[in-house]
Amino acid sequence: MSFIIESSKLTKKFPERVAVRSLSLNVKKGELLGLLGPNGAGKTTTLRMLSGIISPTSGSAQVAGYDIENEVEDLHEVIGLLTETPGFYESLSAWENLEFFANFYADLDVDYQIEKYLKIMGLWNRRDEKVSVFSKGMKQKLALARSLIHEPEILFFDEPTAGLDPRASREIRDLLMKLKKEGRTIFLCTHNLEEAETLADRIALINTDLIALDTTSNLKSQIFKKMVIVDLESVNNHILDTVEKLKFVVNVKQKDNQLQIELIDFDQNTPDLIKALVESDGRIKGVSKAKHSMEDIYLALIKSDEGEEI
Amino acid sequence: MNKNSPHRIKNVILKEWRNTFFNLNSAAVIIFLPLLITLQALFVIYVVIMFASADSLNSTLLQNGLNLLQSSIPSLSSLSTIDQFQVLFYSQFPIYILLIPVLISIMFATFSIIEEKQYGALEPLLATPVRTWELLLGKATAGAVPALIMTWICALVFLIGVNWIGSPDILSYVLSPAWWISLLLFVPLVTILSFMLGVIASSRTKDPKSAQNMGIIIIIPVLLLIGMQVSGFIALNTFNMMIMAIIIAILNLIILKAAVYLFQRESIVVKWK
Repeated sequence: MSFIIESSKLTKKFPERVAVRSLSLNVKKGELLGLLGPNGAGKTTTLRMLSGIISPTSGSAQVAGYDIENEVEDLHEVIGLLTETPGFYESLSAWENLEFFANFYADLDVDYQIEKYLKIMGLWNRRDEKVSVFSKGMKQKLALARSLIHEPEILFFDEPTAGLDPRASREIRDLLMKLKKEGRTIFLCTHNLEEAETLADRIALINTDLIALDTTSNLKSQIFKKMVIVDLESVNNHILDTVEKLKFVVNVKQKDNQLQIELIDFDQNTPDLIKALVESDGRIKGVSKAKHSMEDIYLALIKSDEGEEI
Repeated sequence: MNKNSPHRIKNVILKEWRNTFFNLNSAAVIIFLPLLITLQALFVIYVVIMFASADSLNSTLLQNGLNLLQSSIPSLSSLSTIDQFQVLFYSQFPIYILLIPVLISIMFATFSIIEEKQYGALEPLLATPVRTWELLLGKATAGAVPALIMTWICALVFLIGVNWIGSPDILSYVLSPAWWISLLLFVPLVTILSFMLGVIASSRTKDPKSAQNMGIIIIIPVLLLIGMQVSGFIALNTFNMMIMAIIIAILNLIILKAAVYLFQRESIVVKWK
């Protein structure tokens, strides 16, 4: 399988701390990878290294086939970067700002591209206004336009919806979905777990080290095992003893009249579990598979990384 | 340098000029401050010559300066004492004029870099194919060109003023080789030095005012030189000025190394706060 982003033991040490340690990850072409982690976990440092802005202390990475240390100029022709702060020249207009950035790329029809992206972002009618009068949402859209102006195949986005109102956030998320459908590879740093779950094909969780890298569903099944929730009219000791003695039951937790039972194999063991409960006079009101949010996964992985029991 | 470098450097220069000259305050400072410095020099010399007698000037430290100038230009003694003092005063301008490139370069450097820091524009800029040296050279050129042009315009204004308000025939004494060395060698060297100091100051401060305050320290040696020449401690003849030019050129190389180090991508993104 060909990967468009490949990093091997990527490490960044600053004098006062290690920001990223031995990060090895691969991203497929057209994939949207969500990079999650607590504050100071090294997300932005990872993004800066992969986008060739800062050099790793050790390790290596290739993005679109270019070495992130030695082929930075070529790399920057094929990537788009959205930084955490939009970063514009406030005394220049939206058009002038985009024109300045677009002029650094070779063989680009600058006017055509600026018009295209200002229209996509809904900023065409405001093109001659100074950026200083723009709202945060408008600046963020303009920053997105800037990152796309040269039609890069790989996009690095750092917190694209941070600090935006729900409507602006939705618009940006819709745009990310559209970009994904166009086949662009997106590397998305975010604190917004719902956003990551909705948009990302895979999630990478880092806390200086890489803690996990997989699809959301795989992470759920790995972390929360095979959990079934059984709601009963009432729970007594006889029922609890019966369940605990079943060979395929790994763990049982009682919460009022609800039992949270971890099984070895959900599909195979659930019928036998129901049968055992009925035989021990349990009156079952409902049976369901345990549902876990992205937040549950995130917290479980972070706790596990910090040595706490999940 | 690759084939796209000139285009990228031009892009940086045009952006800097658009950003600076569309700002009325900056444009006014760059155009009117040098003219003010020049006219002020002419005015002060004019007032001193008009209202001070040759005897009163002779009794001051200035006599040492005049003696030193006479040793450099023996034919000066054919002029009247007051005219000799005029030549002494007007001869300070090649050094005094250095204040103009210093002020403009520092203003450009601090304004253009601090603005990028304040708005966070440097990081997205560094993600484009522009190389760091192209960016630095573009910014330096954007500051150096107006600094050089304004300095030369002011030199011309000064010479016209000398011809107009000064005694007849002293222009040939004033327009010495030191003038040409200053205008064609000192001014470009000091422009680069000031810009680099502006870059260094900007990398360490958060607002243009603080950066300008730090960078403005370079004015002190310029003023010191004027004082030393007027009072006769040093004669800024061709030889001495060439020596000084070499010293400033060496200083430029050292400061350039520091500025380029501070202008590395990593320094800008990680250390510039």
